[in-house]
Amino acid sequence: MENIVLRVKNIDVYYKDLQALWNVSLELKEGKIVSIIGSNGSGKSTLLNAVTGLLPLTGGTIELFGERIDGLAPHEIVSRGISLVPEGRRVFPRLTIYENLIIGSYPLKSRSSKNQSIDKLYQLFPILKMRQDQMARFLSGGEQQILAIGRALMSKPKLILCDEISLGLAPLIIKEIYNQLRHINQEGTSIVLVEQDIKRSLKIASQAYILVGGRVGLEGDPTFFTEDEVRKAYFGI
Amino acid sequence: MENFCQLILNGVLLGGLYATIAMGLSTILGIVKMINLAHGDFMILGSYLSFAFMHWIGVNPFWTFFLVIPVMFFIGFFLQSLILNRVVGKGMEPSLILTFGLSIIIQNSLLLFFTPDSRSLMTPLSVKTIPVTEFLNIPLLYLINFFIALGAIFILHLIFQKTYLGRAIRAASDDEGAAKLMGINTKRIYAFAMGIAMMTAGVAGVLVGMAFLFYPHTGPQYLIIAFGVMVIGGLGSMKGTFIGGLILALSQLIGAQLGGIGNQLLSGYIVLLIVLAIRPQGVFGEG
Amino acid sequence: MREKIHKFRWYILGLLLVGLVTVPVWGSDYVVLLCLLFCLYLALSQMWNLLAGYSGLISLGQQAFIGVGGYAVAVMATYYGMHVWAGSLIGGFFSILLALFMSLFIFRMKGLYFAIGTWVFAEALAIWFGNWKYVNSGMGMFVNPTNPPSMTMIYYASLIVGVGGFILVYFILRSKLGLGLMAMRDNEAVSETMGVEVFRSKLYCFLIAAFITGTTAGVLYVFQVYIYPYKAFAIDWTVTLLFIVVIGGIGTIEGPVVGTLIFVFLSQWLAEYSSVSLIILGTIAIVVILVVPKGIMGTLQEKIGFEILSPRRE
Repeated sequence: MENIVLRVKNIDVYYKDLQALWNVSLELKEGKIVSIIGSNGSGKSTLLNAVTGLLPLTGGTIELFGERIDGLAPHEIVSRGISLVPEGRRVFPRLTIYENLIIGSYPLKSRSSKNQSIDKLYQLFPILKMRQDQMARFLSGGEQQILAIGRALMSKPKLILCDEISLGLAPLIIKEIYNQLRHINQEGTSIVLVEQDIKRSLKIASQAYILVGGRVGLEGDPTFFTEDEVRKAYFGI
Repeated sequence: MENFCQLILNGVLLGGLYATIAMGLSTILGIVKMINLAHGDFMILGSYLSFAFMHWIGVNPFWTFFLVIPVMFFIGFFLQSLILNRVVGKGMEPSLILTFGLSIIIQNSLLLFFTPDSRSLMTPLSVKTIPVTEFLNIPLLYLINFFIALGAIFILHLIFQKTYLGRAIRAASDDEGAAKLMGINTKRIYAFAMGIAMMTAGVAGVLVGMAFLFYPHTGPQYLIIAFGVMVIGGLGSMKGTFIGGLILALSQLIGAQLGGIGNQLLSGYIVLLIVLAIRPQGVFGEG
Repeated sequence: MREKIHKFRWYILGLLLVGLVTVPVWGSDYVVLLCLLFCLYLALSQMWNLLAGYSGLISLGQQAFIGVGGYAVAVMATYYGMHVWAGSLIGGFFSILLALFMSLFIFRMKGLYFAIGTWVFAEALAIWFGNWKYVNSGMGMFVNPTNPPSMTMIYYASLIVGVGGFILVYFILRSKLGLGLMAMRDNEAVSETMGVEVFRSKLYCFLIAAFITGTTAGVLYVFQVYIYPYKAFAIDWTVTLLFIVVIGGIGTIEGPVVGTLIFVFLSQWLAEYSSVSLIILGTIAIVVILVVPKGIMGTLQEKIGFEILSPRRE
């Protein structure tokens, strides 16, 4: 019986007085990758914000490693082994690459191993080492994305949530990032991928959910999705 | 000529003290984006705390540092946690009004408790000078102030650059939401930042008390000095705070020399206003 | 209830006005005094509210204009024998000049710099006047007109400033300037793209507030007969105005009215305990800002739509 790392059960979420999610459920098994896709406004980011505690639930529950996390503050949730690569990267512009990574290891448990974690990351992403003393605001989009992922890994999370990491990046860079994601996953980290780019994210995932209008339109093993099904679910037809 | 050199020397040393006074205000403004109009009053509170300790325990003012600093830290920590954190991010007006109210409360409480009599923490140390050349003297106290200022700036720099707390504070001021997602409890971080700011205010208060007379209403005067330092030197850099302190102190002393002692404060105000008009972001400020 | 008040609001206001105008007839000296203070503080607080509540300018230095207005009247009346009310208007005029001069320095950056800049100006003026032999330096001077006005005349002058200031604010808010201000209040960046001249609107309000404040101060010091620089230019004025506006309801027209009423009564009651009264004022202001940030009238407006005078055009 595989462990369920993340279980979202029948949640309703409001974003600024408007309901954004209706009765959404999803499950992520340990060591797997789950993709959540949907067009703009389908509720993808709202879902991640709800999981990380930035938005409150009006209904339903969220469990992380079997324990309820809905209602906790973001910083409490994050210290339980979950990390977010936020939409738009949101690296700290006036901190250097090195400092951004160090902040990633802020949760007490990960501090003692910070040097090893950084060395590993520098191996995985050599460009970070090259520019480690540069302030993050001088990095290109792709470099910032890599930094954001690296930063998320510093806390040695068992689960990473990636919010639209391919947005605005060149295809070659996206390919590289996805390779690294496979690598990270092989080492045991479970991943939730929220994307607009359907092809790549469906290829890499073992389970997928297509959100449309705040509800789950289609779910299952993406290898069995037909193109027709996907298109219909994506556009809510 | 010697007079002039002495003036410059005094100005530089006094500038160190001014920088210490401004440090706390500048830190909080840069980090939590709030202005603490009661900063000067908290500083004077530090002076009065030192005064109280001096008289209850009967020690030299330097020893009171060990008591004033922790007390001020807790005052700042709880002030931020209980009151100021509620208006973070709500714009400038609530925090201006809140801290202004605090300023009034502190001043009048001090007035009730300590009477309007002027006080000081002066000791024989306060008037000692070290002769450097035939004509130049270094007032010992100003020299001590200067080195303590340097020390304080250095320590603050270390905290912000090398510790998790300091980095977390900087991260939270860059992007509060992202900081929360890194596991940083931003409200508590702000409380620590305020605690640190109040510690420097306490240090400044003891130093000021040793050099000058103080009474319950002297707070705002020092707030304006702190503000002058920030305007002249620019926000957000230790360099700026230090240089701002020097320039302000020098303007005051030169003004006093030229126009009499009544002009000391006035000269400082004038320089502040001129900088506001010509280069409002200050010497080292951004944007 | 709401509709009734709305319908009868002009009657209510009219009644109040009649009451105020006739007070010297039916009221005791003490009552007239209270009404006088009410009118003067009403004018001052309406102006502070115009700046802080509508123009986004928190001024910590209105006392600069209070001092200038007071000294203008003192000098003009005592040294030049000018009629006191003309002297007050001169005070208002000098305040406008001062405000223009100040704007060169303090309008350049964010609101915080405006706040402290106004304060610094007031402090600088305090030192200046405190050392100026022409006005008797730190010892202050008498307001000694050749024909000292009676208490009743002073009262009516204050009534004119008080009611006049109130009406002025009302009409400003209903004018094009006012529309711009409220757009700015909602969203400054957007309003600028729509052609609202942010800088000019703020400047006009600053100048108007300076004028009324200076003129009101003139009347005030005719009443007080003596002006002392360290009190005239003291930050205490700002403390009072801030308290009045915050408690009454910042950004509402009725707010300063309610706040001034409360203040006048509170200050009479606490007159003997000056430090304690300030502590109480400060504490109340803090509690209000934390718990009911919109003040009395603001909260009433928000919760039950209770508005006596709406700046919105119908």
